[in-house]
Amino acid sequence: MQLQYKSQAVAKPYFIAAIALFAGQILFGLILGLQYVIGDFLFPAIPFNVARMVHTNLLIVWLLFGFMGAAYYLVPEETETELHSPLLAHVLFWVFLIAGVLTVAGYLAVPYATLAELTGNELLETMGREFLEQPLPTKLGIVVVALAFLYNIGMTLLKGRKTAITLILLMGLIGLAVLFLFAFYNPSNLVKDKYFWWWVVHLWVEGVWELILGAILGFVLLKITGVDREVIEKWLYVIITLTLVTGIIGTGHHYYWIGPPGYWQWWGSVFSALEPIPFFALTIFCFNMVNRRRRQHPNKAATLWALGTGVMAFLGAGVWGFLHTLAPVNYYTHGTQITAAHGHMAFYGAYVMVVLTMISYAMPILRGREVNPERSQVLEMWSFWLMTVSMVFITLFLTAAGILQVWLQRIIPNPQPFMAVQDQLAMFYWMRWLAGVVFFAGLAVYLYSFFAKDKPEAIEAGEAHPSVT
Amino acid sequence: MPVSPDPSAIEEMPLPGQGLAVAAESLYLINLLLLPGLAFLALLWLYQRHRATAPPLARQHLRQTLSASLWAGVLLIIANLLILILGGYDKASIWVMVILYFTTVHATLVMLGILGLARALAGQPYAYPLVGKLLP
Repeated sequence: MQLQYKSQAVAKPYFIAAIALFAGQILFGLILGLQYVIGDFLFPAIPFNVARMVHTNLLIVWLLFGFMGAAYYLVPEETETELHSPLLAHVLFWVFLIAGVLTVAGYLAVPYATLAELTGNELLETMGREFLEQPLPTKLGIVVVALAFLYNIGMTLLKGRKTAITLILLMGLIGLAVLFLFAFYNPSNLVKDKYFWWWVVHLWVEGVWELILGAILGFVLLKITGVDREVIEKWLYVIITLTLVTGIIGTGHHYYWIGPPGYWQWWGSVFSALEPIPFFALTIFCFNMVNRRRRQHPNKAATLWALGTGVMAFLGAGVWGFLHTLAPVNYYTHGTQITAAHGHMAFYGAYVMVVLTMISYAMPILRGREVNPERSQVLEMWSFWLMTVSMVFITLFLTAAGILQVWLQRIIPNPQPFMAVQDQLAMFYWMRWLAGVVFFAGLAVYLYSFFAKDKPEAIEAGEAHPSVT
Repeated sequence: MPVSPDPSAIEEMPLPGQGLAVAAESLYLINLLLLPGLAFLALLWLYQRHRATAPPLARQHLRQTLSASLWAGVLLIIANLLILILGGYDKASIWVMVILYFTTVHATLVMLGILGLARALAGQPYAYPLVGKLLP
């Protein structure tokens, strides 16, 4: 099967890099999981703080690769025109990949303070903050890549057809680039520092990234269900409105205990209690579109990922977010393993799964066929269930650990110190690690599914490539 | 010669009883999420009023949502009370169990309601797994 637009091919290396970095992220997750229970595991080669930094930074970078790949794939098809500059997209891919790999190598090769010294952090001090640990040159590289990427996508949009999907995607991508600029603002006042730090972290994942999520999911559902574009666009408008109305002021749930005025406890509680609503709508949207589909698309794996995104995003971001978002509850749960539980399921459900949905839909076409062979799809669906079910268990074990942590550290009459409590959570950490191993196995099956071929007898029987009906 | 209707327009026309089916699924979800008890009473009233006369699609959704709501009451209220009565409030293990139980069961019931609402919006029937059979 031919690509509709030749320039869509630039998405392929982005998807491959995303998957490779995803594997790296999970590997470091397993190392971290063990370090929770065997404190000196791999010490001093990979200290806990470094492993954690690599785990979270790889997540962000591979998701960005996924978003960019998704944009390069869907924008030509939506705008009905070739990409403005495929060459620029290729150049940016290598710049971003080399910068990302060098940054991770830097984290692992030298102590963080030395890395800061080597990379000129004293010129503009931006390092040392959670998730924004990247050295200054990497941060500048991200800005350059983001601007050039936006230029490429923007110019393509200008010359082609404008659809709600591409406009929502562009809004999300512009928001992503603009909000990252707050990574350069690092005031010495700790309250201001954390206040604006959340403008990157929160307004990315509970704001503009949700627009990107909606656009990608809308595109894939449009393709696999054949439902009218009008219907999908109406749903998207509702979802992004709900996202922005609840998510922007919902930032307040991070302001309860860091120094800003007390009214944030009300604003944060009320608006973030409403934040599950867009995810609720997203889940109904996914199932409604699949129920109303006008054709049976042969890519069953992509349909499964799309439905899974709705469900898991609602559970992880919606339910587990609500669980600890109200100020009186958060007073006890703040910064415990309950936050980690929410973070794991929300990132997996909303962003990991939507990128995998796009890859599942686009990768076969990028490899010259409409869908993967039957066996490959079966393996991919196995990987879906292995990863998703194990993520549910990771979340449940971390939640249990978090509840016990709150009890021992903050409820009982003689609260115990942090590290003493950590020792008592070991059983849950071991179970979480085992669930992580199953997740890794699911990822291995996922990787293998790209190379799986149908058995000769299945090909002869004509089962390999089910046609579109 | 009359102009034939646009096939896409036919598909968009609501089926008999679809509005009622959507209302039933919505009340089931509102009972779980927003107005527990009140929304259940509204659902009960809707069921009583339409169970004999509603089109099959609506009747199926009304019956399913009423049954699932009753089960939800048992699973969330009675079971939770039992755990608390048997174990008391002053143990960490009880809190771990109660919170995990309540969160997973409630989220599962909501998820089933979302699936039911999506089916109702598409004009299709939906049978709730396990909780779709009326209580004896």
